[in-house]
Amino acid sequence: MAESFPVRPKLRPTSSKTTPTPESKYWRSFKIPKDIDTTPSKSYVYPINAIAFSPVEPHDFAATHSANVTIFSGKTLERKSTIASFANTAASASFRCDGKLLAAGDLTGTIHVFDAKSRSHLRRLKGHAAAARVVSYPRVADKFHLFSGGDDSVVKYWDVTTEKCVFDLLGHKDYVRCGDASPVSDEMFVSGSYDHRVKLWDVRVSSEGSVMELNHEKPVESVIYLPSGGLIATAGGNYVKIWDVIGGGKLLYSMESHNKTVTSLCMGKVGKGSGEEADQNRILSVSLDGYMKVFDYAKFKITHTMRFPEPLLSVGFSPNCSTRVIGTSKGTLYIGRRKVKVESDNLVVDGGGWGVVDDEPRKKVLRPSYFRYFQRGQNLKPSEGDYLIKRPKKLKLAVFDKLLKKFRHKEALVAALNQKNPESVVAVMEELIARQKLLRCVSNLDMEELGLLLAFLQKYSTVPRYAGILTKLVNKIVELRADDIRSSDQLRSHVRNLKRDVAEEIRIQESLLEIQGIISPMLRIAAKR
Amino acid sequence: MFTGGKSFVSSPPAFSNDAKRLLVCTGNTVSVFSTSTGLQTNELEGHEAQVTSVIVVPASKVLNYCWTASLDGKIKYWDFAAPELMKTIDIRFPIHSMVIPSLLNQTTESNGKLPDLFSYVYSEVVKQKEEHSNSFRGQIQKCNLTKSRLVGGVKLAETQSPGSITISPYGKYIGVREKRKLRIWEIPEKDSEHVCYKKIRLHHTRSITALAFHPTERVIAAGDVTGRILIWRGVGLQTFSNSKLVNGPNKDEEDRPGVRDEDDADSCTTWHWHSAQVNVLFFSSDGAYLYSGGREGVLVCWQLDSGKKKFLPRIGSPLLYFISSPDPTLSSISCADNRIQLLRTTSMEFLRSISGIKLPSSHLATYEGFGSDVVVNPTDGVIAVPAEDYRVQFYSLFDDREIQEVQICQRNHHPGDEITVKVNLVALSRDGSTMSTVETRLPEEGIGSLVTLKFWARGSQSKQFNLSTVIYEPHREAGISSIAVRPTGHMAVSSSYGGDFKVWVNRHGTPPKDETHQNAGWTCHAVGSYKKKPMTSAAFSSDGSVLAVAAEKVITLWDPDRNTLLAVIGDSVEPITTLSFVGKSDYLVSASRGSKPQLTIWSMSKLCATWSYRLDAEAISCSMYNSTFAVLVLSEQMVVGEATLHPHEGTIVLFNAENAVPLSTWLVSKVALPSNLHLVHIYVVFVCNIYSFSRISGLAAISVSISVSIYFPRIIT
Repeated sequence: MAESFPVRPKLRPTSSKTTPTPESKYWRSFKIPKDIDTTPSKSYVYPINAIAFSPVEPHDFAATHSANVTIFSGKTLERKSTIASFANTAASASFRCDGKLLAAGDLTGTIHVFDAKSRSHLRRLKGHAAAARVVSYPRVADKFHLFSGGDDSVVKYWDVTTEKCVFDLLGHKDYVRCGDASPVSDEMFVSGSYDHRVKLWDVRVSSEGSVMELNHEKPVESVIYLPSGGLIATAGGNYVKIWDVIGGGKLLYSMESHNKTVTSLCMGKVGKGSGEEADQNRILSVSLDGYMKVFDYAKFKITHTMRFPEPLLSVGFSPNCSTRVIGTSKGTLYIGRRKVKVESDNLVVDGGGWGVVDDEPRKKVLRPSYFRYFQRGQNLKPSEGDYLIKRPKKLKLAVFDKLLKKFRHKEALVAALNQKNPESVVAVMEELIARQKLLRCVSNLDMEELGLLLAFLQKYSTVPRYAGILTKLVNKIVELRADDIRSSDQLRSHVRNLKRDVAEEIRIQESLLEIQGIISPMLRIAAKR
Repeated sequence: MFTGGKSFVSSPPAFSNDAKRLLVCTGNTVSVFSTSTGLQTNELEGHEAQVTSVIVVPASKVLNYCWTASLDGKIKYWDFAAPELMKTIDIRFPIHSMVIPSLLNQTTESNGKLPDLFSYVYSEVVKQKEEHSNSFRGQIQKCNLTKSRLVGGVKLAETQSPGSITISPYGKYIGVREKRKLRIWEIPEKDSEHVCYKKIRLHHTRSITALAFHPTERVIAAGDVTGRILIWRGVGLQTFSNSKLVNGPNKDEEDRPGVRDEDDADSCTTWHWHSAQVNVLFFSSDGAYLYSGGREGVLVCWQLDSGKKKFLPRIGSPLLYFISSPDPTLSSISCADNRIQLLRTTSMEFLRSISGIKLPSSHLATYEGFGSDVVVNPTDGVIAVPAEDYRVQFYSLFDDREIQEVQICQRNHHPGDEITVKVNLVALSRDGSTMSTVETRLPEEGIGSLVTLKFWARGSQSKQFNLSTVIYEPHREAGISSIAVRPTGHMAVSSSYGGDFKVWVNRHGTPPKDETHQNAGWTCHAVGSYKKKPMTSAAFSSDGSVLAVAAEKVITLWDPDRNTLLAVIGDSVEPITTLSFVGKSDYLVSASRGSKPQLTIWSMSKLCATWSYRLDAEAISCSMYNSTFAVLVLSEQMVVGEATLHPHEGTIVLFNAENAVPLSTWLVSKVALPSNLHLVHIYVVFVCNIYSFSRISGLAAISVSISVSIYFPRIIT
């Protein structure tokens, strides 16, 4: 009736790490592809100020660093080309809605428009008196305009073809460092400035200044529209705030989990097949503390956190959910790509015009003369309706288990000691204690086995997990076997080592207590606040 | 009326002729169980004391008659299928054992009339005066069952104390064991009132504990206290073979115990495998095998010719009886943990078990906090009994059967060993979905004591308890005095003698829907202490808003959610051992024991004592709904009305918390097993519930019998 239980060590506490949720598995699956030459994937000396993805397939992306804009292929993630015709550091980049043109602003205040493919310099938009930190094409269909913001606290709306500024949008009182075009309208865009304000602009009513003003309460480092166009997310200081612009600019949520300034935001998407659109959209935020966080703004919950070794400056996520790029202040570009199951689209087009059909490989009838005859059916999987008879699991018994079953306690202890697994040795000792036989075993050990035991005790009696039982045992052994230990040099040296280790451990404990004494008043003060 | 917790193993059971029923002596009654389902089908009620023997009349399969004998001195004849009492014979001596040899070799006389039926009873002589200095208390007498009287003048033996009679499979011999010798009588084929018996004695150097007769040959097996099995072959060659008659029971003078030389047997072989006392010896029906069993809980099957052994290990408890059935594939093993196992003899596997409430072993270690309590879930009448073999048994009092067992500690149980690991505390949540247990391992000369707190969650579909969290040494090395689960759930408290109590919470408020969820578990939520005093008891109020923890002599009241001390009340002389909130009322009852015991009722609204008694409360049980509670008092000096209580007698006093005058009182007498206190606990809990039932149904008298200890309560106020 009763089954037999082998001796088991005490359970160890499971790590407090939560098992990965499907979502964090998803975000972790963005890995540096093997075929990229260096790891971390791309390293430039200068900070990566901005990353921009092309809105059309195959979603090439541009990264600005130093006086260059580098365009990477969205397919292979290889560097495609570098535009190096800037007079000063490039600060921002934006693809046109058809992906054919790329606009980039530099610190002199000039905005350059290039052909994304040929790299030919098409237009120079001059007007900003200081660095142009924001440049953005409208995202829906307008191919002729773009807007930019600069350190002169002016937001400009340009007609690209004529290289003319259509009008200046005034209102900010400090550097304009970020902005985004509305995903639903060509005429709406938003800009954020170091004067803590985020302003919504509508070019149709340009004369009346900004349509709406939001106070972020910290210098705004990044602002993006959420895909519905009705919500915006702003980053500045350690916060990311979500605003409802249709509902009159109401603050919906303030996420405060970064420890340093949040530098950049972008939209991400969990590539689940089903579910509502809003369920899949996430805000990716990166910060100078080196963390990238994924925020689910439907549930107002952080669903994933990832740490990078350097301060992060910019982040980008490809619209087809396959690539995630993060740029750091030290010029490293972390390109992560998710492995997508290659669908079998490479259908083999057979030139089957000949009409010769090969014979189907005839199934050989298995005979007992074949070796496979004896292996037949072993890989058979049970079908759904089958009643599965499970073979009773054979209990694996260790050597010491078998000896304990035969009540040969001393041999069991020695067998456990020979296996050199401290957990099982302690488990056997505990079982012997439960049988009240441990001390009798110890007193029956011969010299060699006693040496084995002392060597074990020397190694493990100061390990905190075993110390409670082993230190007491050491005392008893020294008491019980004092004569034997004295008579053997080897045992004496074991005990000497043991003594030294214990003294060392006591020293460590004392210094730890000292540290605890130093810390505890501080903790108490901190708790009072 | 509820009866519960009967002992199934006080006497050997008996199979019916079709092997479909098993007749088990259960206290004053004989219970009939179905062997195919393991459930009780009938009960034979009528005896007034413990039934000691049940003998099924061997006949065709349709006839269901049996004889029973009891300590009340009566022999009864039943039709147990009906069930119906057919006949009663009163011999006025407590019968400890009875055999009826002539049932086994029935012969019809020449005139076709059935001969008289004779039984041999091993009875206890109740002497009025001290006649002999060496008082022989047991005697074997002969009883004519047909004429319903004892056969005068026939006294086969007088012994110091009555025991059991063993009968050979075809009724040819009967034997008794008497310390270090066996006495065997041959029963003549035509038994009548005046007949002479041939008898022999066999001697051994140790006390004999078991005896068995070979079915066909003159082979006798006996087991002794050291675990040896002796096989005598060719027993009684001289005595039984020749026709010379030796008569008279008293030829004991030349008897020299321990000398085997003059035994009337060919040879005597000794087998020694058992390490402790042999309790069971049984020859298989063909005589080729001998089954033996003892304290180790291992059934050994010996091949009689070669002495080869086969084992059926890990039965879990000392074996007491092995009974074979008319169906050759079925037999039963009675174990000391109040369990009858039905065994398929061919494959040596257990088919099912019939189990009563597991009694605690008599040798309870006297270690602080090592006793074990029984907890009750009053809503469904299920009690959880921590048993010796590291299991908790769930037993339904309403259905009077075991529901399940939960293995608490993954350890092999060796019955008969000294108990060093024990499940000593169990607590259940009110809905029964959460269980917490504490197991303690005793140290060996100060090394390696371990207290483990475990939390279990009941699966929603499977109804099985799954281990949720294990906490080693929750209060460092200090023992845990009590655990309690909050009635509203998801919180538990453990109080320790080391001077602190810990509040544990389930990390996820609701149990996870999918049981594979790994993060569900219990974590320490708060640690509290009061002036470093040992915390001796803890209880939650019925709405879960107040946690009361007894800090030795005072009661501290805490808010379990906010971890704040609400109030400190009381100042008893002795440390408080029990705390309990009375139902949904605002009263708290505390009990302290020792030289100045006290039972006090505290009002939670006024934070002061309402009333108090100097009572040594053995157990307290509170009703769940109204403000009544019951107290069991076991005291030698207490005088209730005019009646003075004897030792091992006690009273159960039912109080309403609002009033110091008891509502009612029952006298309980405890017949046997003085150490068996936990049965009383069961009883108190029982009474509280019964009381509420009896009020509804208007029952005047309540009679409850519990297991070996039989209580005869009567209402005196």
